[in-house]
Amino acid sequence: MTIRPLIAAALAAGFLAPLAALAAPEVGKPAPDFKAVAADGSTVELSALRGKTVVLEWTNHDCPFVKKHYNSGNMQATQAKAAEHGAVWLQVISSEPGSQGHVSGEQARKLNTERKVSAVANTLLDEQGTVGRAYAAQVTPHMYIIDAQGVLQYMGGIDSIATAREADIPKATNYVVEALDAMKAGQAVPNPVTRAYGCTIKYAS
Amino acid sequence: MSRIRRATLIALSALAVPALAALEGPQVDTPHVSARLVASSESVAPGDTVTLGVAKTIIPKWHTYWQNPGDSGLATTITWDVPAGVEVGDIQWPAPERHALGPVTNYGYEGEVTLLSPLTVPADAEPGSTLALRAAVSWLVCADICIPEDVELTLDLPVAAQTGGVAHPAITAARARLPQPSPWAARHAVHEEGVRVAIDTGALPADATDLWFYPFEWGRIDHSAPQQLSRTAEGIVLQAPRGQAPARDAPLGGVLVIREQTADGVLTTAFELDAPRVDAVAAGEPLTPASDGGAPSIGLGLALLFALAGGLILNLMPCVFPVLAMKVLALVRTGGDAGSVRGHGLAYLAGVLASFALLALVVLALQQGGARLGWGFQFQSPVFVVLVAWLLFAVGLNLSGVFTIGGSFAGIGQALTARGGHSGSFFTGVLAAVVATPCTAPFMGAAIGFAMTQPPLSLLLTFLALGLGLALPFVVLAFRPALVARMPRPGPWMERFKQLLAFPMYGAAVWLLWVLALQAGANGVLVAAGGMLAIALAAWLYDATWHAGARLRRSAQLVAAALLVATVAVGSGLATQTVPTAQAQGALLKHEAWTPQRFDALRAEGRAVFVNMTAAWCITCIVNEQVALERAEVAAAFAELDIAYLKGDWTNQDAAIGEVLASFGRSGVPLYLYYPPQRDAQAVVLPQILTPDIVLNALDGV
Repeated sequence: MTIRPLIAAALAAGFLAPLAALAAPEVGKPAPDFKAVAADGSTVELSALRGKTVVLEWTNHDCPFVKKHYNSGNMQATQAKAAEHGAVWLQVISSEPGSQGHVSGEQARKLNTERKVSAVANTLLDEQGTVGRAYAAQVTPHMYIIDAQGVLQYMGGIDSIATAREADIPKATNYVVEALDAMKAGQAVPNPVTRAYGCTIKYAS
Repeated sequence: MSRIRRATLIALSALAVPALAALEGPQVDTPHVSARLVASSESVAPGDTVTLGVAKTIIPKWHTYWQNPGDSGLATTITWDVPAGVEVGDIQWPAPERHALGPVTNYGYEGEVTLLSPLTVPADAEPGSTLALRAAVSWLVCADICIPEDVELTLDLPVAAQTGGVAHPAITAARARLPQPSPWAARHAVHEEGVRVAIDTGALPADATDLWFYPFEWGRIDHSAPQQLSRTAEGIVLQAPRGQAPARDAPLGGVLVIREQTADGVLTTAFELDAPRVDAVAAGEPLTPASDGGAPSIGLGLALLFALAGGLILNLMPCVFPVLAMKVLALVRTGGDAGSVRGHGLAYLAGVLASFALLALVVLALQQGGARLGWGFQFQSPVFVVLVAWLLFAVGLNLSGVFTIGGSFAGIGQALTARGGHSGSFFTGVLAAVVATPCTAPFMGAAIGFAMTQPPLSLLLTFLALGLGLALPFVVLAFRPALVARMPRPGPWMERFKQLLAFPMYGAAVWLLWVLALQAGANGVLVAAGGMLAIALAAWLYDATWHAGARLRRSAQLVAAALLVATVAVGSGLATQTVPTAQAQGALLKHEAWTPQRFDALRAEGRAVFVNMTAAWCITCIVNEQVALERAEVAAAFAELDIAYLKGDWTNQDAAIGEVLASFGRSGVPLYLYYPPQRDAQAVVLPQILTPDIVLNALDGV
């Protein structure tokens, strides 16, 4: 029994809040609103997108798991599918400056051109990790789907086979496509929460 | 060949043989990991099962993952390609560790780890043939960035008439890290506040230990959040926030890892739990698990702030404040130019800091020396808690004015600080610390009490912060003499202020009483409160007879001293009387108390002796007894070999036991020794983490 825990408890509300574990948002509840700078210099606000389905994709172009889905074309295909459903697709980069995955707006757009990404509305530059922490995003890729009412409908992985091998993609269930299809059909999302797999997000401490 | 050389050769060959003969496949290196297949024997008989291992050595600061990797990461996978009929079972995972990167926590391994898999050879395998084994192993290895790597490992396993030969050291090491079946029942419930896992450990002294429950499945609990530990009548309850996956009725399986900091390093034990879901699990009395990382620096920051504030408050004490005021006024009136006044201020600061640093060194020496004697300067020790409670109470009495400590000191101080001139400023600072003693001693006592629990650097910094606080007003005034006019006038308010400060002291003492009630129960509280009564009486006697005749005063002081000595003596006995002793549990094995005489007598008889050096506060010791010693098969072996079982209780740091520990290169418990029956046989030293097999092998092996 030391006094340290008491002190820590007293401080928890103030100093420690940024260090505390991530509290994940809940599926079926309103998704946390955010306002973030995007790669094209504009400011993107979630609440301004009410009326449209929004897909958030946490990304880091150097992460082997992100490469798996971009090199194979799987992520681009998923983005195109979401566009067909009328969804707004936002990439989010929460890597802190100097860490793997951190890019400028210009670099982000260049990367998307190189990877033949066409169905992405914008890329959020979340250097401080504010958006990432609000969503408890842990890895890249980490996927979230928010419906037209602003309610979180899906959070988790891109698909069901957690490996870095491209060969596994055809065998896996793409949870994002599955969720978008279900939402389109007015059905409940079959797997609303799954384990996201990938590289740990390099948050600013 | 001389005896020494032969002995050396035997020793060398004993060391060298297992490493050379143990079966291992070629090493495969990736940029981050070296891996190879290893086996638990050099050959396998048809129909037998042996253990294979994928042994990995990971470069520093990188890690691979456990079966549940936590918030991110991927478990290592092994795909076996083995001859027809050979069967390989699931991976047996050594107990994991936590790795935190920002807000993300992973479960995995750093350094060396070996993943074990059982391999069964068909009954029709041909002795003399060789089984070509291949394993495609994939892992994700991460530091702040992650790299997926794949290797193909091979091993040729000879089939022989007998399964035999030594186990590869990596297999032995991995087996020691495998979770053991839990000796305790467990259950879990999902509450609004989080998932609670109740584990019926009984009276395990879990207070000062790092306990962590690693669930097998992702998402059942929050992987990063601290797990709150509480104690119930049946055992302990761990609570963690709910994970992301929806709650399910299935049992919650996982591994409970207990890490204990002992004098000889960190000991880790792990148990596999299967906790069925129940409607509710009540949380018990909160316990405070040992903090890991992070917290100490925050604690230190606040401690320094408190110390600084404490130092500032010291300035307001009746025997400091008037002196300070006078000294400052004198400085301002006679001090000449501003630069010289500032010089005085800084010299004064240096003097104060120097004397507090000296005091810190004295306390440090006491702390270190005491630790060597085995005194526990920590709040886990009821004796320490009660002593600090009494100290704070006595400080309160002093501040309330029940008694005063020799006023003559202050007189000297006043004379010294009143002395003018340039020469004295440094020593004025030194003396300010001494001068203030009658008033500061109570505060310093409290500070020392808390500082004793701190590591050396924090202790030193705490004292320096205290000194800085004491010196600060003077320094500020030296730099801004105009502020002198704003200073409050000395007066009776100082006495009232001093009396007011008694109440935080009483409050802290009350809090410690509560701590003591948790640690030592009602009897502990009785001892503590009785002690307070005695201290109050002693203080009153001391003060009431201060101005009486010499004889009366002398005898009153004698009575007061006797009261205090008796109080402290009773308090020191507290732990032995009230803490549940290590001997409480266990009925299968009959033991005698270890004494050097009893031990020597048994050895002289030629009896086999098993020595268990244990302590009530040592969780590893008690777990070892429950899991590995108090077992029917072990008791049977003890009976068969007619082993005398001696237990030494190191709870109160018995000196004779200390010598035995030292002679085996240990600073603390647990220590397990087996002396085979032959009179001159050397002791077999068992590992600090026991399993029944380890004990039985040790008894068999000689």
